[in-house]
Amino acid sequence: MDWVKIIENTIRASIGVDAIYFAIAALGLNIHFGYTGMLNFGQAAFMACGSYGLGMTAQYFGIGLWWGIPLGIVFVIILALLVGIPTLRLRADYLAIVTIATAEIVRLFVRSVKFNKVFGGTEGISNFSRQYRELSPLNPGKTYGFRPFSYTGYSLYTIVIGWVLVGVFSLFTWQLMRSPWGRVIKGIREDEDAVRSLGKNVYAYKMQALVIGGVIGMFAGMLLALDRGSVQPDNYSRMVTFYILTALVLGGLAKVAGSVVGAMLFWVLFVFSDNIMRELTRNGPLQIGGTTIIESNQVGAVNYMFVGIGLMLLIVFRPQGLFGNRQEMALDGR
Amino acid sequence: MLRRPNHEHGHFWLKVFLAIICSTVVGLGFVSNSASANSAESASDLISATSDGEFFIIASVQNQVLVDDVPQRTPVAGAAITVTTLDGVVIGQAITGDDGLCKIAVPTRDNYLINIDPSTLPKDHNLIDANKAQVRVDQVLFTTNTKRVTFFTGDSGVAGSTELERILQRLSDGIRLGIIIAMCSVGLSLVIGTTGLTNFAHGEMVTFGALAAFFFNVNLNIPILICGPLVIILGGCFGLLINWGIFARVTKRGIGLNSQLVVSLGLSLMLINIYLFLFGGRTKQLTSFSKQVNIEIGPIGITPRDLTTAILGVLILLSVALSLQRSRLGKAIRAVSDNVQLASATGIDTQKVIRIVWFVGGALAATGGIFRGLDEQVSFSMGSDLIFLMFAAITLGGLGSAYGALVGGFFIGIFVEMSSLFFPSELKVAPALFILITVLIIRPQGIFGRSQRVG
Repeated sequence: MDWVKIIENTIRASIGVDAIYFAIAALGLNIHFGYTGMLNFGQAAFMACGSYGLGMTAQYFGIGLWWGIPLGIVFVIILALLVGIPTLRLRADYLAIVTIATAEIVRLFVRSVKFNKVFGGTEGISNFSRQYRELSPLNPGKTYGFRPFSYTGYSLYTIVIGWVLVGVFSLFTWQLMRSPWGRVIKGIREDEDAVRSLGKNVYAYKMQALVIGGVIGMFAGMLLALDRGSVQPDNYSRMVTFYILTALVLGGLAKVAGSVVGAMLFWVLFVFSDNIMRELTRNGPLQIGGTTIIESNQVGAVNYMFVGIGLMLLIVFRPQGLFGNRQEMALDGR
Repeated sequence: MLRRPNHEHGHFWLKVFLAIICSTVVGLGFVSNSASANSAESASDLISATSDGEFFIIASVQNQVLVDDVPQRTPVAGAAITVTTLDGVVIGQAITGDDGLCKIAVPTRDNYLINIDPSTLPKDHNLIDANKAQVRVDQVLFTTNTKRVTFFTGDSGVAGSTELERILQRLSDGIRLGIIIAMCSVGLSLVIGTTGLTNFAHGEMVTFGALAAFFFNVNLNIPILICGPLVIILGGCFGLLINWGIFARVTKRGIGLNSQLVVSLGLSLMLINIYLFLFGGRTKQLTSFSKQVNIEIGPIGITPRDLTTAILGVLILLSVALSLQRSRLGKAIRAVSDNVQLASATGIDTQKVIRIVWFVGGALAATGGIFRGLDEQVSFSMGSDLIFLMFAAITLGGLGSAYGALVGGFFIGIFVEMSSLFFPSELKVAPALFILITVLIIRPQGIFGRSQRVG
């Protein structure tokens, strides 16, 4: 068992790109879930809006990379209207059903053969990130930093940009939720009818929150696409939303720090258990008393199983996560 | 009228269930009798027996029929294959044998064109893609001594069938899908009705049925007609277990419905990965009745297996609907689903009704899973691939209404299959989203829902 490697990988995971894009997506989801009390289970679709916004600039429109941002925002607004118009007046679980369905359909659309020319099919889109890479002041091939934090120039560039984005969106969310707008949003979570009786247009507020959280999620998708240098439809499966949700609940709903620390902690735990199991199964299946317990190709499944169990246990036994306030535990505010 | 002590509930319910299981056994017996001989084994790779220095191009002609989106291939004999150089110089010619294969010697590894003469194909056989009558073999890909080229004939969805035939075929497929979705959705809708929980793990209960059937059928070699009823009961127990182990306790702790919804997501995530762990990521086939030849009913081709499952499915759905309508237990379920407090005040043991709903829901989901597994193939994610259609179905029918789930499921199944006439089949579930959204805008309580506030 190579403990040094395991611990190094675990430490690296806490600030790696995966933690960053989870943190950004969780910040967006927190606006839906934690602050407004909207059960959005389609955050992966909002992320896909961002990635495909970037990717389609090269694949379909043939315009500069940065047009991807307005394009992504347009996609987010379309998606938010699509899921929001029918459901935001209804009970919370309708939004859950529609978002989970829409996210799956979006993924089927972008990976379909029919729209291969537009979205690149199952292969996805690559070769769109040149403009982004050229902006990097670092030598992409050179290794920077010290162990365990040693990265190639390209990774380091994305990680720095990513943490800057995390900071910006954290600050933005924090300020937004202190503003009068944010107080209305939290009011909607606590008692929708009370807010309505004060003359606020709850429907419009919810829609605005859906778009804002979606746009933040969109940036998570963009960062993922830029880091990988490609847009893959299967990076936006519904499972991704569940993992982000788990990270969010782990950190604590309705708390800015909860999203960020939750995402970091999620990846620390995930990479730690993944590495341990991989070490155990490296020299063939792990056997105890002659029965095979786990093989190396089953490690992923077991680890994701732990995520599911973790999500259930968190909701039941510690719904406020690490930082949350049980009074503010939003899900059943109404 | 519902004030009586409820020992009768269980009693009647037992009878209904035994009836369902008996009809399952009888029906599956019918399948086994009518199951016709397996169709020809697909051509095996018999490429061997080539000594060094000899190069061959092996052309294979296969007739491909999509049975429920699973391609079934049979070899085509008598097709003329010609190999030429890029300049059109003929190297060799051959006719495919009974195995659909023919072997043409070529001098070296080079670029070749392989042509099939469509006029030599048997009657009713057309190339799926008429542009693929010529295939090019590149020198760089000609790495071993033989290079295999396959031509596919078969139904491209256009050739050989009229518009009406295609519509009828889709309708028949749609009815079968609709039966499965209706069967799976009843439990989902009843759980929403009686407990308020939107159970996202319901798809995994469907998968449970299919995987359990696979375990008994393939691993233990028990015919499906014997293990089927057992799996259905196990499915019911699985539902009970989920309720007893998780949701009943969670409700007792006073955890709200939206939190329970997230718990069900976690459960779904856990179960699907347990299935992946135990079963692996590949799709596999049940051994019973896996290969059957279509019988033609007018323009529609359907295998005896599918016909039986369809009839059986209708019987099960009818018995479910009847027992909901007529039996004391069914009335109690509907009463609890309508208004828990009122039902409880009438003397109905709501906890017991909820347990029964979980059992029946789990059993029906498992039944749907077995049928789906016979229909298509078994995979660890087959239930969660259906959950979205189930939600569309129960939203259309009205959340909490069992009849709504039956009608909605049936409708969604037909609509989805019919829409694949216009949509590429990989996107055929997209119209279900359209229904979902339209229903929520026009009539959010669904067809059978009471017009109360749902927001």
